[in-house]
Amino acid sequence: MLQPRLLVPLRALERAFAPSLRSAQQAYQPQSIFQRTLSANMAIPKVMPSISRPLLPFSQVRFASHASQGTANRHSRDPAGKRLGAKRSGGEYVVPGCIIFKQRGSKWFPGENCAMGRDHTIYATQAGYVRYYLDPERHPERRYIGIVFDKEAKLPYPRNAPSRRKLNMVGITRVEPVGAQPDLTASIAGVNADNTQVASVEAVNSEDGPQLRPGYMYREANWIIGRAAEKAGIFAKPYDRGNRWLAWRKRQARAERAAQMKSLKGKKKSSKKAK
Amino acid sequence: MAHCERASKPLLQCLRNTYTRGLPAIQLSARGFHSTAAVGEAQPDSQPFHKSPDPELVSSPRLERRLMRQGTTPVGSRRRRAALQGSANLPFEQLPYQCFQEARQVLLADRAEKLEEIEKMRQRIARVEALSPEEAGGKNSQKSRVHAMQQHLEHLKIHADINDPLVKRKFEDGQGDMSKPIYRFLADRKWREYRRKILVQRITQMNVVPDVLPHCEPTVDTKLYFNYRQVQPGDFVEAKNSISAPKLDVQLFERGEKLVTIAVVDSDVPNVEVDSFDYKTHYLAVNVPISAVNTKVDLSQLSAESQVVLPWLPPVAQKGSPYHRLSVFIMEQKDSQPLDYAAVKAKETDRDNTLLRTLQARYHLKAIGAHLFRTQWDETTLEVMKQIGFNEADVELRRKKVEPLPYKRRNPSSFR
Repeated sequence: MLQPRLLVPLRALERAFAPSLRSAQQAYQPQSIFQRTLSANMAIPKVMPSISRPLLPFSQVRFASHASQGTANRHSRDPAGKRLGAKRSGGEYVVPGCIIFKQRGSKWFPGENCAMGRDHTIYATQAGYVRYYLDPERHPERRYIGIVFDKEAKLPYPRNAPSRRKLNMVGITRVEPVGAQPDLTASIAGVNADNTQVASVEAVNSEDGPQLRPGYMYREANWIIGRAAEKAGIFAKPYDRGNRWLAWRKRQARAERAAQMKSLKGKKKSSKKAK
Repeated sequence: MAHCERASKPLLQCLRNTYTRGLPAIQLSARGFHSTAAVGEAQPDSQPFHKSPDPELVSSPRLERRLMRQGTTPVGSRRRRAALQGSANLPFEQLPYQCFQEARQVLLADRAEKLEEIEKMRQRIARVEALSPEEAGGKNSQKSRVHAMQQHLEHLKIHADINDPLVKRKFEDGQGDMSKPIYRFLADRKWREYRRKILVQRITQMNVVPDVLPHCEPTVDTKLYFNYRQVQPGDFVEAKNSISAPKLDVQLFERGEKLVTIAVVDSDVPNVEVDSFDYKTHYLAVNVPISAVNTKVDLSQLSAESQVVLPWLPPVAQKGSPYHRLSVFIMEQKDSQPLDYAAVKAKETDRDNTLLRTLQARYHLKAIGAHLFRTQWDETTLEVMKQIGFNEADVELRRKKVEPLPYKRRNPSSFR
């Protein structure tokens, strides 16, 4: 927006050039001699305002009282809050992976038993109690977040003390890495004594009948179920694109099903609304 | 053909044919630019070069490798060796460069001046030492004066030789005599430029320094070898390679002999019961003499009667355990006085519950050198465990399940 106050020097400039401008204007305007003579002896004092008009198209002033009323739709430009800040306060118990502080940039740094995520989030790497602290020996200005194992412990630890660590592991009997699976199948799939090839069947599933499957149910393996039709000698008809009767029936069935689903969907919604 | 050879070949060809066969060659026959060999040069040696390469002149990597396999290291840089192939290898005094000779005169004059100063300084030290403490203004002031003068004398010794091109050359060829202060100074400077920085970084970043010892300011260059292979600080070493004790190369940069204690400590022995880590001393030897010229220390060859307190125990890491840091510390004994071996041997029998901090305080030791290697579970660990009778060989460590925090509903229905 053009500020009128800026134009004050311009106006002075214009005043300085006024006579020449006037003469130019007179030369440019195609007026009749009669009019010209009229303006020459009568209208000269009135010319000044008419000249300033093309140079100053806007002359509005925006006063403070107006600006303070605010712009329209200001609140729509306010973004949603990002939910930054401390998620765990000092002294609170955390477990590994627990987010302690969310921030933009590194306002806080990870100290003892903490780490910094991709977006500078501070999270715990050990179970313990949160501490917010300064460590001037490590860095004079940084603020740190750390985890201590004892509830009463203080951070930072002395500079030359051995680091306090936890193993967080349990001892179990070592198991040999299993390379045994292929051997089992090999024992079944192989060449018999009379030189006949035996079909390779998975050793685990080679037993007949249902077995205990995931989900605590006794049933046959999925791949056996999938081959049931084959076993019974039932085969699907080969597709014939000329069979329009079958195509029409399929299409009808699909449309019917779609309509049914649609009606169900509506019912659900209405029932929810009623609730 | 090596890079440097290829780069310098045209130039060398020119030089070889014109002048560099030596000064007499110029006077005999000034040959122009020819790519063929001169008649006089044509007769071959009894053995071709590739059959018996000269360590001063060899520049192709293959021949270098062959030489190294035979046990001789090529001298200096490859670039320099390639350049020397075409030169007559004249001594500096005979080189026909006027400016160079003038510069040498300046250096020689400077050296003579420094030698004079050294002589003067020696006399002054002798004079001050001969004075009685009362005349010199107190015992302490006399001592500090003598100390300052001796330091100045050491400076002068280094300044006398540091501009000598021959000294520089010898040092770069690895032929420096470490009994001389100038070569010790150059070696120290070179070590501090890179290798010491790496070492300090490794021992601080892997937290060896606050974990094992509170401070360590390395002043001796330590190299570690397992099975003739050098191990860089912080490297992982396979269990089968570390069955036998390592060899150390401890380069002292000071004058005189020192008696040191050498300890190898594992600071990451998992302890499942207390859910923490323990320390274990894998090796401890006292009264090991080292000096600037006597650098090699074979930990398996030290005397079992007078030096080795705890013999080498091969480090092994259980499956699943975090890597074990095995830190080697060279610790200077106070005033280089020998420790009482029998007493130490009687006292330090427990590998598991001896902290190096305690030893340091008990025997007034000061860490002057450090090294670090790591072990973890690998294919050869199980064999080594069986060999040394490791009693928890069939235990594997797994991560403990973390109990999640109790679920706290953030927006209970009462909020609505």
